[in-house]
Amino acid sequence: MATATTILLPGDQIPPESLPKPTNAKKPLTLGPGLRHIPPNTITATIAGALATDNKKNAAWIEYNSGRYTPQPHDLIIATVHASAAETFTCTLTPHTPPALLPHLAFEGATRKTRPILPPGSLVYARVSPSPSSTTSGYSLGAGGAPIELTCVDPSTGKSDGLGPLKGGMVFPISLGMSRRLLAGKKGGVIVLEGLAKKVGFEVAVGRNGVLWVDGGNVKTTLLVGRAVQEVDEKGMGEKEQLWVVERGLRGL
Amino acid sequence: MPREAEISVNERTFIQQALQENIRLDGRAFDAFRPLKLNFGDEYGVADVELGKTRVIARISVEVTTPLPERKFDGIFQIVTEFSPMASPAFEVGRPTDAEVILSRILEKAIRRSNALDTESLCIIAGLKCFALRADVHIIDHDGGLIDASCIAVMAALQHFRRPDVVVEGEKAIVLSEREREPIPLSILHQPLCVTFSYYEEGEIFLVDATLAEEQVRQAEIIVTMNRHGEVCQIAKYGGATVDPLALLNCTNIALQKVQDMSRFIQHKLDEDAKKRDVGGLMAELSAENAR
Amino acid sequence: MAPEALLSHLNRADGSATYTQNGYSIIGAVNGPLEVQRRDELPSEATVEVNVRPAIGVGSPKERHLETLLASTLRTIILTRHIPRTLVQITLQVRSLPSEHAICGVDASLSLLPHLIHTALLALLSSSMPLRTTVTAALVVLPAGRDAAPMLQPTARDVMLAKPIQSAHVFAFSGNGKVLLNESDGSFTYEEWEEACEMAEEVCCKEGGVGLSDAMQVDGGSENLERWLREVVRRKVEKEMRWKSGT
Repeated sequence: MATATTILLPGDQIPPESLPKPTNAKKPLTLGPGLRHIPPNTITATIAGALATDNKKNAAWIEYNSGRYTPQPHDLIIATVHASAAETFTCTLTPHTPPALLPHLAFEGATRKTRPILPPGSLVYARVSPSPSSTTSGYSLGAGGAPIELTCVDPSTGKSDGLGPLKGGMVFPISLGMSRRLLAGKKGGVIVLEGLAKKVGFEVAVGRNGVLWVDGGNVKTTLLVGRAVQEVDEKGMGEKEQLWVVERGLRGL
Repeated sequence: MPREAEISVNERTFIQQALQENIRLDGRAFDAFRPLKLNFGDEYGVADVELGKTRVIARISVEVTTPLPERKFDGIFQIVTEFSPMASPAFEVGRPTDAEVILSRILEKAIRRSNALDTESLCIIAGLKCFALRADVHIIDHDGGLIDASCIAVMAALQHFRRPDVVVEGEKAIVLSEREREPIPLSILHQPLCVTFSYYEEGEIFLVDATLAEEQVRQAEIIVTMNRHGEVCQIAKYGGATVDPLALLNCTNIALQKVQDMSRFIQHKLDEDAKKRDVGGLMAELSAENAR
Repeated sequence: MAPEALLSHLNRADGSATYTQNGYSIIGAVNGPLEVQRRDELPSEATVEVNVRPAIGVGSPKERHLETLLASTLRTIILTRHIPRTLVQITLQVRSLPSEHAICGVDASLSLLPHLIHTALLALLSSSMPLRTTVTAALVVLPAGRDAAPMLQPTARDVMLAKPIQSAHVFAFSGNGKVLLNESDGSFTYEEWEEACEMAEEVCCKEGGVGLSDAMQVDGGSENLERWLREVVRRKVEKEMRWKSGT
């Protein structure tokens, strides 16, 4: 790593030299989690962590890996259905937080006559809808009281794109950082899944709310995959150690 | 009112399926406890227990008071367990949940009613002065097994605690401070410990030391309290699915083995701690039982 | 001696910290933003709830008083408007106290207060709750006697040896140097109070002048708290990023 990471405490202003240098000068600066704008020109951190920037997108945010998940628009999440009301399912994304609403019709091919049946305790893979009343702070949806809405369908195409109910399998809690890494592909540096996939078949779904769903067809395989990811997460393993986890896991099968 | 988050259908089915295939989520044997850690504080009578991810701290404290009129020759001993939101947001201060009530009741039966602590030895002057002992149980982290962990914590703390020595002259009693005379251990008659059995598949499958996820899926539980001599202090089953009564015999056999393991472990930790404190064999010199 | 801090070590709590200094050890846990009960709900802000659990017993009016002080101080640094109609639940469990704590001559709640504040802040940082700024606090004790020097962050033993005590003061400062809390006990002049405030400010806040030196400022044994806090956060971030440097 060439540059030292800038570590910020809440209340720290971002030094101007640490701001992203946009490749496209016309793009406005986007602030992600952990930063807030105090007009006219000050940007301060609201949580403790390392400053991260993206020059291409002209974005800045704080990297952190502790605390509760807070929903952001377009996030992929795994929710548990709590109950079914008139037009929506009430779902929980994290325990003890206000429930999110998933409209009965927000599924591929759903009509008033053919609504999906999701009994309490079902799992769904869904996306957080951008709420019409989200505030400019961008920090939390539902600011102003509107509950968070979910969808299992792409609103422009009507296709599910892999969203919808998750049947069978098992869920494994993982850290928020690990969820982000898994959804980031190569940049996330998680190779344990592709390592295991060479020898065993399984399906996974990753929720940004710190939930990993795995279905390996049988108990042993599912446990192997889930526990492997959890171990890589808990121990902060790099690539070499992950390969070792894969090898040990496959040997056990 | 916040309650413990419901477990999903997928998790419930998976755990039950895994148990039928003889597999627990963390790969343990069905009769295995999670790794147990026990640490003592710098002060006497503070035990910090970790059973897997569950963490409980028990603290013993003492003060001088008047004995109860109906029990003139006994000291007072109470165990207080109050859950705080630290262990789980489902716990509200001042509103006991079922789990809290059961824990309180079991510790009461297991430790107080079984006379683990000789309360007569806490008497200073009959009818006038006695020691009031208090065990505070703080649940720090909750991942199941609260009863088993709390019992270990309280018993370990009781055995670790040292109370002030007293000099009685007729109607007067002088409580000596730590610097005047070395405090003395409590009179403990036996060491009860709890083992919780969780039942699945209509009582067909059972396991020991369930994690929170396993607790949420279980259909019944039996809590057995025994000491290492095989004496049963209490057996509790608060409703739930029916269990074959012969299974209880099996439970007590397994419980005995577990209780013996735990007792050995606690004693080992107490010895370790005593060695750390005993600098230069001072303890042996100060003991009033020195042969002269 | 710098306080010891252990972050994010509890499994159920969203944020947690164990803080140890001079014989005081406190475990802090933060949960939130959570669903809030209707009766506690605030329409445009988060509700902040503080629970102080003493080492012995379940709590008395003393703890309720500490909870009120802490809640009002923390409410000013938590960005409650960012998370309206939710609950931020902070629980502080006193794990151990120095043996001289109750008899040292300073009100027990007062000497415990700075440690509770630090534990709460560390747990809040661990929970990534949005904060406007950080807070640090210090105790200043003025013994009786004309030539007695004010004691900054003394241990309970030091205070006991310096008895009798004329006055004791706790000051809490925000990250940008503003006084967030002041609790004073005893009899004192305005000058004495001002001097105590300055002493506390020096140890709590960013050192005057852009000091990029790594040398620890050993000023009568007190390490600058702002620097200590940064060090704690640096270690937290390093731990979270260790997968990046793994081979």
